[in-house]
Amino acid sequence: MEQCFTFEKEQFPLFFEAMSEHGTVLAPVRVSEQSFAFRPVSSAGEIAFEALRTILPPKKLFYPQRETILGYEGRTIEERKPDVKPQVLFGVHPCDLAGLGVLDAIFSSDPADSHYLARRKATIVVGLSCMPDRYCFCNSVGTDSPEKGYDVFLTDIGGSYFARVNSPAGLQLLQSRPGLMQPASGDARQQYKDFWVNRDRAFQIGFKSGNLPAIVDMEWDNPIWEELGQRCLSCGNCTPVCPTCYCFDILDVASLTGDSGERVREWDSCQFSGFAQVAGGFNFRPGPVDRLRFWYRHKLHGFEDAYGFPTCVGCGRCTVSCPAGIDDIVGVVLRLQGGQDGQGGEER
Amino acid sequence: MDRLEQPLPCISVHSLTGCAGEELVILENLQKALPLVRVVSFPFAQSANEMRPVDIAFVEGSVSQPHDLEKLKAIRATARWLVAVGNCAVWGCVQGGVCRRFTPEQMARDVYGQDNQIAALPSAPLDKYVRVDVKLSGCPIDAGQFLSVLASLLKDHLPYITHKPVCLECKLKENGCVLVEKNLPCLGPITAAGCGALCPTFGAACYGCWGPCEAPQMEAMEIVLKEKGYAIDEVISRLTAFGIPQEIYSRDKPLELKVSRQ
Repeated sequence: MEQCFTFEKEQFPLFFEAMSEHGTVLAPVRVSEQSFAFRPVSSAGEIAFEALRTILPPKKLFYPQRETILGYEGRTIEERKPDVKPQVLFGVHPCDLAGLGVLDAIFSSDPADSHYLARRKATIVVGLSCMPDRYCFCNSVGTDSPEKGYDVFLTDIGGSYFARVNSPAGLQLLQSRPGLMQPASGDARQQYKDFWVNRDRAFQIGFKSGNLPAIVDMEWDNPIWEELGQRCLSCGNCTPVCPTCYCFDILDVASLTGDSGERVREWDSCQFSGFAQVAGGFNFRPGPVDRLRFWYRHKLHGFEDAYGFPTCVGCGRCTVSCPAGIDDIVGVVLRLQGGQDGQGGEER
Repeated sequence: MDRLEQPLPCISVHSLTGCAGEELVILENLQKALPLVRVVSFPFAQSANEMRPVDIAFVEGSVSQPHDLEKLKAIRATARWLVAVGNCAVWGCVQGGVCRRFTPEQMARDVYGQDNQIAALPSAPLDKYVRVDVKLSGCPIDAGQFLSVLASLLKDHLPYITHKPVCLECKLKENGCVLVEKNLPCLGPITAAGCGALCPTFGAACYGCWGPCEAPQMEAMEIVLKEKGYAIDEVISRLTAFGIPQEIYSRDKPLELKVSRQ
């Protein structure tokens, strides 16, 4: 049900009004010199349109960092329903849309995660086009085109936004301000196509992903893992920032008085040594080399087996967040493809 | 027959060589616990103190003087649960870390003169001398963690105390990374969480006051800080300032930080 419209950038405040009418608007705002975060905003002026990647991906809005899932009192256990309110998530780039698509698949498979799905259902997603920087490689992993997971997708075509509509809720949003939207003209359609062709040419790094799963398995003993693992801090920064990492820990928090308490789930990371430790103290991944290699495999290959797709969406967040500089996915893939000597590999 | 009223569990709070920071945190939060426990000894906060058996003894400070050791042994002998509170009691803190390069004799002589009457021991955490049931680090400890340890022990459960790194708490708060963005010598990657990433949240580097996290990657931390231009001496002194023992440098062998009951 793809429909196309355009509206002038000057009219954006009207579009913002329409979004606000639906619910809280969450959009990227600047939080430090180099960083952005999705936060609730009350005016268009607060939005950092230039934001390429936020510190945490939009998953936090559906699968919060920490949430209470049940409460207990004596022998009574009660499920805590999430506090779900209508919201509009604005400014999601193609890599993050793909990331949400991966999490949708994971959290909706049996047993489905009702908290995640309830929040997802109450949210209108407005995508926004972007131009890659030197860390972006979504075109190498096939997530560079906005295909699904959005209600409206805006492409910046100069003086206007080109809006693609992908759901009845999205159409309603665009039509709630009469006169705001114009049907996309032939010129606008041409500008739209030009934008995406130019964007495709703007990528500075990348690799050819064909055969990657086989290569990741083949290079399981490649010395690169030891080399990178020596530098790995096991700080776990790479996993919360990843749009498709979803592991959590479960904690029971007892109250000081009585027999009551809460069960809380909090994001966890496979990079922590306690993550794969089992009763008796045995650890399946005792060292940083084991854990880093495991994470790389999970991102580049591990999910093929169960779900049929890799989970890296090419956003570059891990690359920019790693204090040790070892989450250079593109560089590592090129070296793996080149074999033991680390030479070769075919750059895009 | 009248049912006898169940006596309240007894707790005590003691201090060895430390700054009393833990005692302040406990005092500030004691009101929440008071309906549930009887405080039989807390010399910092009350004048009537008894040395008698208790269910839980909280001990702050490091063992740095002979009378610390006597006191600690007496506390251990009369406590069912002994909880080391604060970095001093758990790791030895600055008096254990920074002072490691001097002998106690040399320090006493340099500070108090040749004819001093100071009887000092090399500063050490409690578990060098006695069995410690629960270790709650912090400088000072976090009030929430203290209350959750108390809540667990009152139910005879061993408490869960996180040993994941500060970076987790920092990222969950969605702070900009001061190590990456500002090249500050942040020790968050190797330091145990629990503080809520307090320093990085305000733009400062973590200086490791909580002690090491589970399996801290000291060598990698050294490599990263060196590459950022920090001198190796400064790196080592930052890494060990809060009493972290040298053995922690052994790679791939996760340090046993679990609650130990020998």
